[in-house]
Amino acid sequence: MSAADLARLQFAATTTVHWLFVILTMGLVPLVAIMHTWAACTRDPVRRAVRERMTRFWGQLYVINYAVGIVTGLVMEFQFGLSWSGLSKFAGNVFGAPLALETLIAFFAESTFLGMWIFGWGRMRTGVHVTLIWLVTLTAYASGFWILIANGFMQHPVGYEVRGGAAYLTDFGALLANPNALIALGHLTLGALTTGGVFVAGVSAFHFARGTKETELFRGSLRLGVWVGMLASFFVIIVGQLQIPVLNRTQPMKMAALNNEGVADLQARLVRDHGPGDYIPPHDWLRIAMDTMTIIGNTVSTVTFVAVFLLWKDRLVRRRPLAYLMTAMIPFPFIAAVGGWVFREVGRQPWLVYGQLTVEDALSHVSRASLAVSCAVFIALFVALAVTNWTLIARFARRGPDATQLGATEPLPDDVPESGADGKQTAPVF
Amino acid sequence: MSLETLWLGLLGLLLAGYFVLGGYDYGVQMLHPFLRAPGHGEKAERAGRNAALDAIAPFFLGNEVWLVAFAGVLFGAFPHLEGALLPGLYPLIVAILVGLVLGNAAVQLRGRADSARGRRRWDVLIVFGGALPALCWGLVLGLLLHGVPRRADGSFRIGFGEVFSPFVLGCGVTTALLFAAHGAAFVALRSDPELAVRARRLGARFVRAAGAAGLLPLLLTLFGAGASMTNRATSAIIAALFAAALAGAWWYLSQGHPVRGFAATCCATLLPVALVGAGHYPYVLISSAGAGLTIGQAVTDGATLKILSAFGVVLIPTIIAYQTWSWRAFRGRTGRRHPSYF
Repeated sequence: MSAADLARLQFAATTTVHWLFVILTMGLVPLVAIMHTWAACTRDPVRRAVRERMTRFWGQLYVINYAVGIVTGLVMEFQFGLSWSGLSKFAGNVFGAPLALETLIAFFAESTFLGMWIFGWGRMRTGVHVTLIWLVTLTAYASGFWILIANGFMQHPVGYEVRGGAAYLTDFGALLANPNALIALGHLTLGALTTGGVFVAGVSAFHFARGTKETELFRGSLRLGVWVGMLASFFVIIVGQLQIPVLNRTQPMKMAALNNEGVADLQARLVRDHGPGDYIPPHDWLRIAMDTMTIIGNTVSTVTFVAVFLLWKDRLVRRRPLAYLMTAMIPFPFIAAVGGWVFREVGRQPWLVYGQLTVEDALSHVSRASLAVSCAVFIALFVALAVTNWTLIARFARRGPDATQLGATEPLPDDVPESGADGKQTAPVF
Repeated sequence: MSLETLWLGLLGLLLAGYFVLGGYDYGVQMLHPFLRAPGHGEKAERAGRNAALDAIAPFFLGNEVWLVAFAGVLFGAFPHLEGALLPGLYPLIVAILVGLVLGNAAVQLRGRADSARGRRRWDVLIVFGGALPALCWGLVLGLLLHGVPRRADGSFRIGFGEVFSPFVLGCGVTTALLFAAHGAAFVALRSDPELAVRARRLGARFVRAAGAAGLLPLLLTLFGAGASMTNRATSAIIAALFAAALAGAWWYLSQGHPVRGFAATCCATLLPVALVGAGHYPYVLISSAGAGLTIGQAVTDGATLKILSAFGVVLIPTIIAYQTWSWRAFRGRTGRRHPSYF
């Protein structure tokens, strides 16, 4: 593999794994915020306790996922500079601004507030505590906005002019109103909500299939998950379709390569404009990615649509096969989302900034040996992290609300006689 | 003061903030096996708690993002410095990131382990993930103080020769020891009184060690084999302040004043950042052959900087405000009644 291939592989692996965490983070956090608000607004102490347990149970799964997501995010922040110094040389004046603003507006606040939310159980007033999780939600999506603005500039550069081989920002408003970025943000938000909804519905259905005693807790979760999954997966398809005219206008070659139509004409035009070179992204990659996304999207949308009707009298979870079907759906939105990014980013090739800077030209002067080592290390690390993350999520999802550690204070000797002495779990005091 | 200098100041503030806040995280990570709670230790041990990690827990997520903000502002305001610095320091940056990934994940997931054996495995990663970034940041400081082998096109690539020079290694070891001392001082500030006393004594020992290790780079510089600072007088003042901060930290920690001791270690961890910034100004990246990349060459275009400034005026005070809120909300010593999640 050449240095460029290694750098691309490293970047692709980092972003893909990071995205797998991010999509669940973005999908779960609004649901956790809704549950927490719901609990806070409940007067009846018994119901309130159930809803608080619900918040802590889903909150813990979310926090486990966030823990691993934040570290891959740290690596992401450095990836641009490490391997693609040509990007900062050419587009640093433009591309750097949204990245800087993302860290200052969103990432910073999200982490600080989440830290306070995790450790604020039993310590902060309910109103403040609920506000914190909403702030985390808001900043998570603000983060998505700024990242998509940066990514949108790579897909369809706007609001700049090139002077002496470097891009200069001329219209900040145009950069923020980039249609390619905004519509993708809508699609991605709905995709994340689909993932979160299907996850919550799937785990709840699993507990019903296992004959859980926490019927009230999981009934509430199931309903929320199925409804969110149904609505989001319906609109994610529509917004996805809306992107096609934007792509036809801004990235004609991407669509041509996908459909294998008019590729030769476009190639000739690009050679005329940008000099000799291969400007055709690989058809097979685009086709497979697109088909994966479409098939999964339609299936999930149909299944959740039917599931909404079956929520009546818990019909959805009365029979085990149906309940397990909901559980089995959990991985598919993730696969579809990876397909979406493969389509978006592979379809951009060979450009790093569409029509302005190629991937080859942006590569840093880093030796092939260093890249090979770092690529191997990062991929090994991320695969290990992903496996750990999913093992832990599966374990705590399976154990149910009794095993939740989030918000539980440590039992003192006089609180719990010897029952907690095996030291495995701490008993929640709420 | 010009806008670009202001942004360099902000970049320095973010890096210094990261050194102070991330610094005590790494210190606590390195020392946490030696800072178990006494007395009820066995019970806490069985429940998998570690008092030192509990001390940093509520701040941990908020501390690490200072680095992310530093990287973001580096790209946003000084893209040409970023484009030279990160690929040039490639092996060190990768090592720091690997350490951070392992350490951060381990700190946050340790509490999810089921058995003592599982926790011990996370513990190893926690120590490693604290020590590796601490050492490598010290090496980066050493390289930035000493200068890097820049080529005609402005890029550079460090090799073994540059990293394994006595000066750079001396800076690395000093920083690692300093972070350890800083972490111990934080535990002395925030843990229950019994553990705090032990942490304070441990901190004083590490301050002494850091001071001893720091003599090597200092002597090398005085004999002309270490850093060649652009602004000699400013550098001398900052170096003197650094020495004073170490001396103060040692004095207060050994005399039983954890608050003042921690304040002194805070100063000691942020002064090296000031030394790199002010000592070489107007250069932001110094070449080993002298001269280097100036702030004017590194900074982003004026139009972009103005937009960033408009945001910065609102954002920076907001960030400081909510971080302060978080520090206030979790002030006071940790106790067993506090929710301990990590």
